[in-house]
Amino acid sequence: MEAEFPALVSARLGDRVAAVEVFPGTLGRVRFRAEAALDVFRSMRDDFAFDHLSMVGGIDWVDHREVFYVLWSDARRAYVILSTDLPAENPHIESATPTWPGANWHERETWEMVDIHFDHHPDLRHLLMPDGYVFHPLLRSFKLHEPEELEVKTRNV
Amino acid sequence: MNASSVTTASGTAKAPGTELPVVTQPGVPFIEIETLRAKEFLPAAKEALSAMIAERGREDLTQPVFNWAGRNSLFPLHWGLACCAIEFAAAFGARWDAERFGIVPRSSPRQCDLMIVNGTVTWKVAHKLIALYEQMPEPKWVIAMGNCATGGGPFRTAYSVVPGVDKLVPVDLYIAGCPPRPEAMLDGILKLEELIRERKE
Ligand code: SF4
Repeated sequence: MEAEFPALVSARLGDRVAAVEVFPGTLGRVRFRAEAALDVFRSMRDDFAFDHLSMVGGIDWVDHREVFYVLWSDARRAYVILSTDLPAENPHIESATPTWPGANWHERETWEMVDIHFDHHPDLRHLLMPDGYVFHPLLRSFKLHEPEELEVKTRNV
Repeated sequence: MNASSVTTASGTAKAPGTELPVVTQPGVPFIEIETLRAKEFLPAAKEALSAMIAERGREDLTQPVFNWAGRNSLFPLHWGLACCAIEFAAAFGARWDAERFGIVPRSSPRQCDLMIVNGTVTWKVAHKLIALYEQMPEPKWVIAMGNCATGGGPFRTAYSVVPGVDKLVPVDLYIAGCPPRPEAMLDGILKLEELIRERKE
């Protein structure tokens, strides 16, 4: 299974997948094109039986952002990682919540921390910070503030 | 009184068949005596009291009583924000037994007069903390327990942490430490009791 997985993915998803890289402890790291996100999610769930979404995360690489999904399959007893690059300007991608409802809070957190917009998310609002918080604190451009400064900026939360 | 009581003994040589004389006790019943005494005493007491009030003010006389009651039954809010809450919990365990000072944690802010902020206050929890504080009846006190509540502690510059709970509610007493040991917490509460002893309001 492990060996033929990249070929199976390429056969099933064609050019929607750019590459399947080796990633230790998983079946592979599937680099997909962001525009085809919904197809990739559906296919992973329905064709490859990855029925559980473990986590969603985002990384700010300064010149672009990366968003990744860790999937678990009970049938295969294996992980796989989906990953894609988004532009640094206005990064947005289709939400995985309709496919895996567990993505809901993960995407809220990813949006809050690294400012990646998830289209068609049912409820994209702050998770860990109060409503009205204006920063995305895990972006590299975010500077640690002096407490007094931060207090002024968050006073009306 | 004496005269009437001896009359009973006057007819010692009674003819047989004559009725026994009725023993009369013309004294006043006990309760009436007390009432009379009270009537005598009360005006004097009232006078003395109003003289004291005129001299020192009513609050001066009643406030120590309320302060005494308040400082011996401080009810802190039973909650925990972070690691300091573990020490807070330990202080009420068998070893330190904070209840011997009359400190009984209550689960509703409406029954509390002391808020011990025992941990890191984040911006997310800030307005809940204020809501809890507002629900506590007056008079109320706030203790900032630990470095986090005092000034943000190790997270002072973090994006999510309030740098000191005194930015949100008035704090009466700060306890330093990360975390303060239960002895320090008890010492802080005893110091707060000293503050309450001197309270005039
Ligand atoms: S002061 Fe230290 S022990 Fe107390 S809440 Fe902060 S980090 Fe935890």
